[in-house]
Amino acid sequence: MAVRGRNETSGARKVVRPFAFFRAGARPDPSQADKPILVMEDVYKYFQPDLPTLRAVNLVIERGEFVFITGPSGSGKSTLLQLVYRKLTADEGAIHFCGRDLGRLTHDSIPYLRRNMGVVFQDFKVIPHWTVFENVAVALEILEMPQRLVRSRVSEALERVGLSGRGEDRTGCLSGGEQQRVAIARAIVSEPALLIADEPTGNLDPTLALDVLTLFEEINQAGTTVLFATHDHSLLAARSHRLLVLDEGRLTEARQGLAGWAARVSWASA
Amino acid sequence: MELRNLYTRAKRGAREDVRLYLVAVSSLTVAFLCLSAALLGLSNLRDLAERWGRTHHMSVYVKDGAERADVDRLLQVLSTLPSLTRVDYLSPQLAREQFVRDSDVGGSLTALPVEAFPASIEVEFDAQVSDTRIAEVATKVTAFSAVVDTVDTYRTWFERLGSLLSAGRIASLLLAALVVVCAFAVVSNTIRLSVAHRRDEIEMLRMCGATDSFVRGPFVVEGTLQGLLASALAMLLLATAYLALRSHVDAALAPLAGMRVSFLSPLLVLAIVVAGAGLGALGSAFSIRRYLKV
Repeated sequence: MAVRGRNETSGARKVVRPFAFFRAGARPDPSQADKPILVMEDVYKYFQPDLPTLRAVNLVIERGEFVFITGPSGSGKSTLLQLVYRKLTADEGAIHFCGRDLGRLTHDSIPYLRRNMGVVFQDFKVIPHWTVFENVAVALEILEMPQRLVRSRVSEALERVGLSGRGEDRTGCLSGGEQQRVAIARAIVSEPALLIADEPTGNLDPTLALDVLTLFEEINQAGTTVLFATHDHSLLAARSHRLLVLDEGRLTEARQGLAGWAARVSWASA
Repeated sequence: MELRNLYTRAKRGAREDVRLYLVAVSSLTVAFLCLSAALLGLSNLRDLAERWGRTHHMSVYVKDGAERADVDRLLQVLSTLPSLTRVDYLSPQLAREQFVRDSDVGGSLTALPVEAFPASIEVEFDAQVSDTRIAEVATKVTAFSAVVDTVDTYRTWFERLGSLLSAGRIASLLLAALVVVCAFAVVSNTIRLSVAHRRDEIEMLRMCGATDSFVRGPFVVEGTLQGLLASALAMLLLATAYLALRSHVDAALAPLAGMRVSFLSPLLVLAIVVAGAGLGALGSAFSIRRYLKV
C-alpha cells in the first residue's frame, strides 16, 4: 500500500527545487517538477536468503515534506536510506527519485545523483584535521565551483547552522554538536533537493539533539525535502511531522502520530 | 577538473602523509642515484672508447742500445709511407717530460729516473686508414728487429674497452629495469598506504558526489611529485658528488685515459627527471585502480 502525504505543519506544497539530473551535461525535465520527489514501489532488500531486511516497501514522498522514519535497531532504516542514495541497490521493486529509476543508474551516474542529495550521518563523517571551511567547501569543490563563489556559499551555510566565523577552526577541536553542524552545513551548501539524515542525533545529548532537529526543520522551511531517520522518541514526540515506521522490514505510516502508533507496538513505548 | 584545486588537494594529502612520502622519496632517490651513477660511468666509458678507437695511433718502442743510425733509417722508411700524418722520435728524456706534464699529479713523479722511460717513435695515421692497414704497418715495422722492441697500436686496449662497454650497457639496462620496478613498487605501496589512511575522506567524497577522477586525481599528482622530486634530488646529489670528486678522478685518470670525466648531458638529465615523474604517475595510477574501490 502506497504511503503518501503532505507537510503537516502548513498543509501547503513548498517551493520545489529544479528537477534533478544524474549525468554531467543532462538538462532538467520541467514536466517532473510537480511530481513526488521519491517513490518506492514494492521494494525488497535481502542480506540473507529468504530473510528480507525490507519487504514490500511502498512509499511516496512529496517535495518539501519533512518525514520521520523510525523503527527498532536493525529494522532497516539505514538500509532504506542507503537505497535512496544508491549505496545499496534494491533486489526487487523500483525506486524513483525525481522521476528517474535509481536501479537503472550506471556507476558513473551515481555521483551526479548524490550531488542532488545531502546526507548527514550519526558519526558526522567530517575530517578532523581539516578546517571547518575545508570540510564544508569540499561539497562545492566537487561541483568545480569558482573559489570566490565557494567562499560566499560556505559562509552562508555556516551562518545557517550557527557556526559563522568558525571557518578556520580545526574540526577535530569542535564539540560533537558543532561537528554535526559542520556535517549539516556540508550537506546543505550545494542546495540539494533532498536531505537525508541517518540518525544524526545518535551521538548527541537530548538538548543538542533538539537543536539539530530544529535546524533541519529550518532547512525544510526553505524548501528542502527532509528524510530524518531516528529511534529517539523524544524527538518524535516533540514534533508532529509525518511519521513512517519500519518494523520487521515493513513500512507503515503512523497516521495518528507517535502516541497512536506507540500504543500498538511494545518496543515503542519502552 | 580545475588544476589549481587538484594541486591544492594533492598538497593537502601529501601534508597529511608527510613522513610516509619522505620515506618514499628517499628510497626513490637512492634508486635513481644508482641508475644515474651507472649512466655517468657508461657515458664516460663510451667517450673513452670513441677516443681510443679514433686515435689511429701507433707507438714503436725502441730497444735500449739501438744504434741511432738504425733509428733514423726506420724513421725515414716510416715517413715515406702514405697516409701517415705524423712520425716523431721521442727520446727517454722527452718521454719522461711528457708523462709528468700529462699526469698532472704534482711532484711525486718527477723523482722517476729517465731510464724508466723507453724511447719511442710516435706515429699518427690518417683518420681514413682502416684497422687492417694499421695492423699491416705494425707487422712490417716489427720486422726491424734490430731497432724495434715492441709495437703498440692500442687496439687490444680498445677491444677490451669495447667489451667492457658492452658489459656496462647490459648492466645499465638491467639496473634501469630494476629501478623501474623499484620505483613502481615504492610509489604503488606509498599510495596504497595513503589510500588506506584516508579511507574516511574518500568515503565522504563519494557521499558528496565526487566522481572517480576527482577522488583519484590528487593521488596521481602525489605520485608524480614523488617521482619528480626523487629524480631531481638524485641528479642534484650526483652533480654535487661529481663536482667534489672531479679533480681527484681527473688527476688519476687523465694520464692513463688522456681525457677528463664529463657529467651527463643536459638532455639525459632532463630525460631522467621526466622519467622519474612518469614512473611516479604510472605507479600511483596503477595502485589507485587496484586498491581504491569504493
